[in-house]
Amino acid sequence: MKILKYFFGTAFKSIWMEKWINLLTILSISIGLSIFCSFLLITFNIDSFMKQWSSSFGLVVYLDDEIENGKIQELETYFQQDSELSNIKYVSADEALDEVKTSLGANAVILDDFNDNPLPSTFELQLSNGLIDPKFVRQKADAIKKLHGVTDVQYGEKWLASLNTISDTMKMVAIFFAGAIFISTIFTTYNTIKIFFYRRKEELKTLKLLGATNTFARTPFLIEGSFIGIIGGTISAALIFTLSSFTTTRIVEFMPSVSVVLSPLPFQVYLLIPLIGIVMSLLGSFIAVGRIRY
Amino acid sequence: MIKLSDVKKTYEDSLVLKNFTMSMDRGEFAFITGPSGAGKSTLLKLLYCSENVDSGHISVDDWIVSKLKKRTVPFFRRNIGVVFQDFKLLFNKTVFENIALSLQIHHMDPKEILSRVKAMLKEVKLLHKSDIFPQFLSGGEQQRVVIARAMVTQPMLLLADEPTGNLDSDNTRGIMRLFREINLKGTTVLIATHNEDLYYGSGRRVFFLNNSHIEKEIVG
Repeated sequence: MKILKYFFGTAFKSIWMEKWINLLTILSISIGLSIFCSFLLITFNIDSFMKQWSSSFGLVVYLDDEIENGKIQELETYFQQDSELSNIKYVSADEALDEVKTSLGANAVILDDFNDNPLPSTFELQLSNGLIDPKFVRQKADAIKKLHGVTDVQYGEKWLASLNTISDTMKMVAIFFAGAIFISTIFTTYNTIKIFFYRRKEELKTLKLLGATNTFARTPFLIEGSFIGIIGGTISAALIFTLSSFTTTRIVEFMPSVSVVLSPLPFQVYLLIPLIGIVMSLLGSFIAVGRIRY
Repeated sequence: MIKLSDVKKTYEDSLVLKNFTMSMDRGEFAFITGPSGAGKSTLLKLLYCSENVDSGHISVDDWIVSKLKKRTVPFFRRNIGVVFQDFKLLFNKTVFENIALSLQIHHMDPKEILSRVKAMLKEVKLLHKSDIFPQFLSGGEQQRVVIARAMVTQPMLLLADEPTGNLDSDNTRGIMRLFREINLKGTTVLIATHNEDLYYGSGRRVFFLNNSHIEKEIVG
């Protein structure tokens, strides 16, 4: 405990004395982490949108006009037994026509020209949560299409594929940035600590001659590195929180309907950012103090 | 206390110590002298493990210095006070902080550090300058700070390398008085110097170092 006072005292004295280099390092870390967090926020929102969309995502199974009632019952049982499907709803041709008429309102008169009901009977199916991988959906639709009495299966194939591509791309970009920022932050802290180390080389030599262990000489540098990381991370978290709140408010002002889709990052992530800053800076400092001989 | 036998030390092609043998008793006060480049500083460096011996045996108290492992060296050095020729004061720390550093390395309690440093500053007559940075002190005062830093841990052995090198006679007398007082408290003292005035008439053992070994030994 008593030695901690010395370690922290020495570290904070150095932080103050080398304030400009420290400030630059903190800024570099916070900018890097902010870029990463921005991608994280976008990816998170796309994912969240995908989840919301998947809950209403469904397949429409068109049935043969000549299908018998027994066969419809058979298909319904088949769908109900499939654990990958949920909310199975049969819509008869007459019900479908009523729905169209209701939605057309006064314009429903245009349907009067048809002698027969032009709409087929359908099954509306939803996929169980999370099962909206385009490949899986396509396979499922193809399998259903092969069933006797089914003429076609439709779903938002292009939408699904596009959203999935965007989500995957954003995830890849976020991973890439995470890696790049991880390495650059480690490197930045490594260089800063190395500079401090060399500037205080004579002092460290004296410390060793007086009987200081390597741990005693190096610990203040590790504290300094951690401090740089936590401040950089905190600035980044504050920046992302402010930007995210501001942007969300502005977007919602212009497009109120979007508010349902926009998701802020969970609060825990904001607590995690300074911790990530510490881990990265500490790693850089560790490498720096471990590599230098004096 | 100190035992060196058959010690050999070379720097690249130059032979500094060869078949070097000497010993000192616990509580003794001795001098080592010789011409410049004779190896006085090297001898002290070997004793506080700043240099490694090529061959031979060195021991200080129960420590076999010539066989010390790297990670043990700091713990050994904590038993020794060194007055460096170039002082090695830290100019970004005050007089108080410079002296306290030795005790912080010993992981000492801050209250104990405060009382010990104050007592030491009083002893070297620098209490009034405890908050001053070393660059604002005279040569004699800086030397007293170095001695205080070396002594504050109450080491078993004090090594001083040309401790009066650039000091006037008044300061030299003051420094030597300090060493005598330290020795009276039980610390073994070995001073490397080429200043004859320090050892003549001192009644202490003087080792004359020349041609890589002890040429003669007299009582000053």
